[in-house]
Amino acid sequence: MSDKDDVERGPFQLLEALRNQDKTWKTLAPRYGVTNPNPPWKTSLTAMCDCLVANGVLPLLDWRRAEDELGETVYRDVPAPERQLLALVHVMLSRGLVSETDLAQRMRAVRARLEAV
Amino acid sequence: MSHTHSPGDGGGDHPAAPMVEEITDFEVLEIAVRELAIEHGLFTAEDHRRFTEWAESIGPAAGSRLVAKAWTDPAFKKRLLEDAVKACKEIGIDWAEPTGFGTPSDYMNLRVLEDTPTLHHVIVCTLCSCYPRPLLGMSPEWYRTTNYRRRLVRWPRQVLAEFGLILPPEVEIRVEDSNQKCRFMVLPMRPEGTENWTEEQLAAIVTRDCMIGVALPRPGRTADVHPVQKARRPVQRS
Amino acid sequence: MPSNKPSAKNRTRAVEARFKVGDRVRVKDLPNLFYSRTQMYVRGAVGTIAALTYQDVLPEDEAFNRDGRLEQYYIVRFRQKDLWPEYPFENDSLQTESPERWLEPVDS
Repeated sequence: MSDKDDVERGPFQLLEALRNQDKTWKTLAPRYGVTNPNPPWKTSLTAMCDCLVANGVLPLLDWRRAEDELGETVYRDVPAPERQLLALVHVMLSRGLVSETDLAQRMRAVRARLEAV
Repeated sequence: MSHTHSPGDGGGDHPAAPMVEEITDFEVLEIAVRELAIEHGLFTAEDHRRFTEWAESIGPAAGSRLVAKAWTDPAFKKRLLEDAVKACKEIGIDWAEPTGFGTPSDYMNLRVLEDTPTLHHVIVCTLCSCYPRPLLGMSPEWYRTTNYRRRLVRWPRQVLAEFGLILPPEVEIRVEDSNQKCRFMVLPMRPEGTENWTEEQLAAIVTRDCMIGVALPRPGRTADVHPVQKARRPVQRS
Repeated sequence: MPSNKPSAKNRTRAVEARFKVGDRVRVKDLPNLFYSRTQMYVRGAVGTIAALTYQDVLPEDEAFNRDGRLEQYYIVRFRQKDLWPEYPFENDSLQTESPERWLEPVDS
């Protein structure tokens, strides 16, 4: 698959909804008086990218190129690291590594788990 | 003070650190996509745990120690310039971590670039964002921007000036584009006014930016100071 | 993690390096089949071999998981003026890494 497909597929509704939310760490952290510059999931995201590259699922250069291109176009207005997360998921959806339906369903399940009391 | 402990207060005298008290869709998305990737066999939970642990263990302190040791130990400096990966082991940095053969973006080829009174190095990766992570930790956000990557090779003096670093024309500026498998780190010159300093004192002024080459170490500057967001709603002790 | 082995590990024979430190070389302007790590801004430029780095397979091969040939890699030094004609500082330089097949000798 060419890296063109990584970028040109979409838009993905699921990601569009997140893109338009003003819920990035940059907005939320000062609201809660948090000074850590990065959300707690950032390292996990970095490790996920490392794993995908290390296992040959996503060639490093394809991924970097797609990240650049998406970061300058579709997700330009989203700050890092949310932009990086959206770009990664965009590429994974484009390549069919995960499906949008599965992902939406799993997000509902994860949220339910995190909010369980 | 009440005798019941609220979550996170640890029972001590310190107030709980503030937290973002809502679950965002970004956080949920990161977990969801990772779980699916693991279920689809793209990587294992153990792979992920190992890379996370490693990512959290690295930082620019290792590079700072390396430079301080090179400044105080000429024999070490010689070994460092000859075989940097090997010399790193002397300060406990193994480029084979965490997989046994490095990470996908930190191959086991490292070269240390020594600055002189007439030569100043600065590193970039025009292709993506290759960076000597075992020594410097995760690259700063600006290092990954296309602005830095595109402009540094062409207008290095302009870009350095934007970092506040202005060098006279007689100093050769050498841009190192790490576009293949070698990784690079700058060995800056030891500044004046640091005579008789200990390695520890020296390491404190060798900040990340000095090892990228966008700043010079100087006594008194011990962090790459960037504006810090002030808390609008600081936590009050009850 | 299976596929992150250093690519040269399982391939035995070392190759003889064509260039040595100090040699003048020109970066070839080869067509970009698939992709390459050789940046456009050095294509056609003349520089000097600054160091021999390691031997590895070509990234162009590696990207497609073909069993690559070993190749010598070099750090090549260019004068900025040779890359950007209008560059105003005489002494400034740029180094980048290149596999041997991208380089050709320049008679001095």
